[in-house]
Amino acid sequence: MSVSSVASPACWNCGAPPGGGHFCIGCGKIQPLAAADGYFAFFGLPEKLDLDAADLDRRYLALSWKLHPDNFVRAEEFERNLSLDRSSVLNDAYRVLRDPVSRAEYLLARHGVRKEGQTKQQAPPELLEEVFELNESLEELRAARLSGDAAESAALGKRLEAAGRNFQAKLAEVDAELAAAFREWDAALDRSAGEDERARLMARMNEILNRRSYIRNLVAGVTHELDGAPDA
Amino acid sequence: MSRTVGIDLGTTFSLVAWVNPETGRPECIRGPYGSTLCPSVVSLDEDGRIVAGEPARRRLLTQPERTIYSVKRLMGRGVADVQDELRLFPFRIDPESRNVIRVRLGDRFFTPPEISACILREVKGWAEEFFHEPVTRAVITVPAYFNDAQRQATKDAGRLAGLEVLRLVNEPTAAALAYGLDREQRGLVAVYDFGGGTFDVSILKLIAAGEGDIYQVLATSGDTHLGGDDIDNLLLDLARGEIRRDLGFDFGDYPESLQDLRKALIAAKHELSHADETTIRFLLPGGLAYVRRLTREEFERRIAPIVDRTFGPVRQALSDAKCKPSEMDEVVMVGGSTRIPLVRRRVEELFGRPPHVELDPDEVVVLGAAVQANILTTGVQDTLLLDVTPLSLGLETMGGVVAKLIPRNSTIPASAEELFTTGVDNQTGIDLHVLQGERELARDCRSLARFRLPVEPAPAGMARVEVRFTIDASGILQVRARDLKTGQERSADVQPSYGLSGPEIERMLVESIDFAEQDFAERQLIEARNEAETILHATEKSLADAESELLDPSERASISGAMVALRQAMAGTDYRLVRERTDELNQATTHLAELLMDRAIRSALEGKKLAEI
Repeated sequence: MSVSSVASPACWNCGAPPGGGHFCIGCGKIQPLAAADGYFAFFGLPEKLDLDAADLDRRYLALSWKLHPDNFVRAEEFERNLSLDRSSVLNDAYRVLRDPVSRAEYLLARHGVRKEGQTKQQAPPELLEEVFELNESLEELRAARLSGDAAESAALGKRLEAAGRNFQAKLAEVDAELAAAFREWDAALDRSAGEDERARLMARMNEILNRRSYIRNLVAGVTHELDGAPDA
Repeated sequence: MSRTVGIDLGTTFSLVAWVNPETGRPECIRGPYGSTLCPSVVSLDEDGRIVAGEPARRRLLTQPERTIYSVKRLMGRGVADVQDELRLFPFRIDPESRNVIRVRLGDRFFTPPEISACILREVKGWAEEFFHEPVTRAVITVPAYFNDAQRQATKDAGRLAGLEVLRLVNEPTAAALAYGLDREQRGLVAVYDFGGGTFDVSILKLIAAGEGDIYQVLATSGDTHLGGDDIDNLLLDLARGEIRRDLGFDFGDYPESLQDLRKALIAAKHELSHADETTIRFLLPGGLAYVRRLTREEFERRIAPIVDRTFGPVRQALSDAKCKPSEMDEVVMVGGSTRIPLVRRRVEELFGRPPHVELDPDEVVVLGAAVQANILTTGVQDTLLLDVTPLSLGLETMGGVVAKLIPRNSTIPASAEELFTTGVDNQTGIDLHVLQGERELARDCRSLARFRLPVEPAPAGMARVEVRFTIDASGILQVRARDLKTGQERSADVQPSYGLSGPEIERMLVESIDFAEQDFAERQLIEARNEAETILHATEKSLADAESELLDPSERASISGAMVALRQAMAGTDYRLVRERTDELNQATTHLAELLMDRAIRSALEGKKLAEI
């Protein structure tokens, strides 16, 4: 989701060039959201993915003090709305960037590599056999529960738990793979790598994210079945 | 100078507080009856006047048909939503109510925001009496789990009460703020808020930053229809059943007596917070008595399912905050129902630590509201509340499925932007349906608003309308639309699904001002007529007196002229005219009055002489 572009060349208050930040460098007044420079730029950060969570937290809290509507209660409606826009984007940006997966998804979407709601839910070929087995266990467990076979249910439950642990481990592997890809991406930015290399790295991250999403759904399915938790 | 206060608009009681600049601490303001608690009860008296608070609560027993309590349960809700409440609460709802419920008091109908406004006006009056200055702005607290419609209804009530609502603050967050004043402690805090009608739980992180303290809400959950009222209703169901079974008595024709029984049961509930057992003694109409021993053990066994219901939201909030119960550094108890020993025990068991109960659970929320009001008005910003939206915001898409725009527990303000286009040639508008809730299908979520984005007729897919949904710091939704082809802002005429529209609020505001003026004019007219009646009566008596024969005919004519004119004025409704004509008659009778006075003096002197003889 892009930051809306209501760019104005001059500060609405003093008429001088505002400097591109949250506040005019001349008069200090809060500025309308600038052209679509996105969530990273909002925090004054480059589009790097292996970011320091503590640093992001600090930047977020510092900006919260300045942009929050609490500071604009006594301001005119126009300024109050600017604060509402900026502080809401601040919160949106923080929510997206603090989580590594949504951070990567955001970056890829921004560069047109990944479209929201159009992720591939295809089983990775090397997992096909295990996924098949898992689904079989899930169905047997449901059948055993329906027929009230407690001993069979317990045995299947154990098998499913083991399978769940197996996929949990695979999820950790994928996360490690993703973290490595993040570092590679950041290094590519550092040496100003060309379009082609960036595109290749983004395509690979997209493939990892798809795989991750698939495995995560499997893990969630197993957890759901074992806990018998109702849908939220 | 006008003042700003914090107000807790509660289901059972409402409170008002301010920050005393001398001590820098929040304090509750007492009402004329000496208590800080204003019963959230409103009544329409026989003269058509509204009374609120303690006098209204007294009328609950004598005039139940004209009196309403627990109106907070109806805020922001539709008729279909409240069918369950109607079984247990004596709300008299206008069957013609549409998107806003209308409740009957006597012969008039009121919406829940109007009734809540009466309560707000009452506590606002307490504060004005205390300051000897007008109060124009307020921070009002709401249950954290209130949806957009319930928040909007609360804000509307504030406006109808003549208050600028600076912010709605979530009750558990306000409580954490009040508790936080005294401690250096930083870390994770769970607030368990079990009030009269609502249950909330919030998980907060207290951070000491260079600029001051930040109260960051990580997650919140709750049930807007779970509270002490449910315990009262359970006891009432029990007692009614036993009375019917054992004494053959039915309350059908005795609504007053049922209210009395409710009061007796609430007293028993309170008693069991410190006693091991109590005996309910209740005299029924007709002389039979219901006498029932109730032990704390039985009480706890019966209410356990209600207390259990609070732990679903507690687990949900903990899981959303990605925390375990044992990780909490502090647990804070809020709301009258946390006085119940079973509730305290269960909370302590879950978190593995005794909860904080130092502050009065009835007052802690309003104290926090006063602190926030002080932050917003003095500009001394040493504390920042970062709250969250309790419910996901979404849009209805093809097939009635909901597309989430803003997930629950997002820090507010929060926003989402969506781009819309047309599906058929020459379409003139795009219809949107905004919802709140966690379910997949639109029909299972709360409908907030439907509206139509106007677009210029063009081939399908050519239009580009960008819509920005923003949830503000009070948790209230704002919608703005922009046509990307023309760059123009497009007004979206948002029709709330359950709430008052802009024009309806305006009309109510005008009516409430009119009513105030009308009330004043009526009182003036009654007084002026009484005064006129007195002088007319006196004049007639004087004219019948023999002494009046001393008046010359022109004087006599001017007096009777003035009397006719006054009688005419009295037949009308203009109190100013009645006053004027009264003055004129006074003028015309000056000489007559003197004559009578002289005679009185003469006879007094004569009397003296007689006495001297």
